[in-house]
Amino acid sequence: MSSTLHQFHGHHLPFCGSKEEPLYAVGSRFDTPDELFAAVTRLTAAGYTRYACFTPYPVHGLPEAMHLPKSILSFLVLGGGFSAILIALSMQLIPTTLIYPIVVGGKPLDLSALPQYIPITVALTLMIAAIVAVTGMILLGGMPRLNHPMLAWELFAKCASRGFFLTVEAHDKSFNMAAVTELLHTLGATDLIAIHEEAEAQKTGKSSK
Amino acid sequence: MSALSNTTTPGVAAAAEAGAPDLSAIARPPQVLNNRGPLWVTDAVCSIVEGKTPLWWYAAISVSGAFAAMGGACILYMIATGVGVWGSNSPVFWAWDITNFIFWVSMAHAGSLISALLFLTRQKWSISISRSAEAMTVFAIICAGVYPAIHIGRVWFVWFLFPVPNSYGMWPNFSSPLLWDVFAVTSYLTVSSLFWFAGMIPDLAVLRDRATTKIRKFAYGIVSLGWLGTARQWRHFEMMYVLLAGLTSVLVVTVTTIVASDCATSVVPGWHATIFPFYFMVGAVYSGSAAVLTLLIPLRLIYPQLKDLITPSHLEKVGKLLLMMGSCVAYVYVFELFTAWYSANPFERGAFLERLTGGYSWAYWTCISINLTVPQLFWFKGIRTCLPIVFVLAILANVGMWFERFVIVTTTLTRDFLPSSWGEFHPTIVDILTATGTLGIFFTLFLLFIRFVPIVNMSELKAALPGTQPHGASDHSTQEAR
Repeated sequence: MSSTLHQFHGHHLPFCGSKEEPLYAVGSRFDTPDELFAAVTRLTAAGYTRYACFTPYPVHGLPEAMHLPKSILSFLVLGGGFSAILIALSMQLIPTTLIYPIVVGGKPLDLSALPQYIPITVALTLMIAAIVAVTGMILLGGMPRLNHPMLAWELFAKCASRGFFLTVEAHDKSFNMAAVTELLHTLGATDLIAIHEEAEAQKTGKSSK
Repeated sequence: MSALSNTTTPGVAAAAEAGAPDLSAIARPPQVLNNRGPLWVTDAVCSIVEGKTPLWWYAAISVSGAFAAMGGACILYMIATGVGVWGSNSPVFWAWDITNFIFWVSMAHAGSLISALLFLTRQKWSISISRSAEAMTVFAIICAGVYPAIHIGRVWFVWFLFPVPNSYGMWPNFSSPLLWDVFAVTSYLTVSSLFWFAGMIPDLAVLRDRATTKIRKFAYGIVSLGWLGTARQWRHFEMMYVLLAGLTSVLVVTVTTIVASDCATSVVPGWHATIFPFYFMVGAVYSGSAAVLTLLIPLRLIYPQLKDLITPSHLEKVGKLLLMMGSCVAYVYVFELFTAWYSANPFERGAFLERLTGGYSWAYWTCISINLTVPQLFWFKGIRTCLPIVFVLAILANVGMWFERFVIVTTTLTRDFLPSSWGEFHPTIVDILTATGTLGIFFTLFLLFIRFVPIVNMSELKAALPGTQPHGASDHSTQEAR
């Protein structure tokens, strides 16, 4: 798509990934969460929606500033927990009442003896809910994932824990290379870079910067 | 000031500069000493994993590995020969196997409590120690899990414990507390491992980014699952963390309750008591807090960079937890005796008289003398803050707790209702080597943990440091979990 080098203030904008492949995003780095926060507020106001923040720890208020919806994970876990209750109760009640009743001392086994089924139900509910929580977090977060265009950017790949990174993705409907680069620059971003998709054969971490 | 610097400005000092009233008198102790900043935290924690493997580590893992291997050999011998190689015999069918099972599974509880319950209650001091406490939990459950499977005798029938549809048309007895136990321990191991691992993903990604060799990059790349730290990922991650903390907190209470039901639902005098779930719970957190102290105090000595992260103030708070739970344990000891007397049940009274004066009274008095005195010493700030003394007391507390489990499980069984079925228990060498084997397994796993995994939750700690959150953002102490 973009086989020519991008220009910025009369200089070539550094790039990573493969020049022949389509542009993925414009990357930038901020020193403080405050700057990132301000940049996100400005980008949102300017109508950008396809941008991403990469932070070394959860920055409070950032998802709200980005208008990210509340995580649906809690509903998934609630659903997982409720299904686990049903699974656990039927797992116990079907064998004990229908298939293989073990009657000890004439004590009842049906629902009137519900308390004796509670411990296993609680244990299974917690276990399945926890499994749903972790797999849900992994899948909703776009993981597991072996590679990402961002990892071709050596600065990010090596120092993700040392800065606050922001990318504006090329498929944003209001994306304009020059405007985005200029905006990020005025917001105090450093290390501006054009991030291209990687060619199939290209190895991770090889940057031409 | 850059947020990702090597130092931070304490909030109180900043407030004082701005002309606000001096709040230093009521300020909380700093989370991290010497104003260390996020970059320093990253370097300090990663350096433990990235540095050259120290000699002491090889020496330590050889010793613990040898004990673990010996334990494994004993287990194989037991499986090949039969449970007769253990000292357990009629009437003491539950001896060191269940004693050690309860000892280990109880020790696990403090880790969950510190990481989950203290996270939910926003006790930020627990951040520095939560990762190692959780690791202790997972490894202690693994040690506990060794016993239930092998103590059934014919291990190849262990699948009878699970509701597997089979050609015999046979199902487990869901009304049995022993089966509840299987589910409780399985779910405890699963949930605490997930909690431990999932909370570690962002930190493993940091190790991946910093890796210098191909093998490390590959290994940490695989286990960090491609974590990038996007705002979206953090949003789901934080939600997951608070949900798992909630689930784990419930689990802490239910697992001990179910383990206590093993004893409490029977009619054996000395076991048949409604106080047992509470009894096991407080004992669990007491011994677990002691175990956390036993592990962390030497760790700080070996890795001096941890001294700023795991501060004396944090350890003192664990000591206070130990004091509180130890006092609850003391209350139960007294109340147990009172109930036995007040019940006017000759068998119940007899069981406790036997404990106080019988053949195993030395075990009971060891347990009582340690568990009534050791935690009470933590009332004194001088003792609580003197780490060498705390270390010795913490080991003593776990010795006391092992004797408590031994007294409850094993010595109770030596006296049945009928004098004709009275007996004694003597451990065999296989019993002893299996028990030391679990200690070996525990320390081997913990040494591997120190060497290959970030032992402090870096991302959570960095987010809680002063000056690392945007100033404009609203107070997020109530919104983090969204």
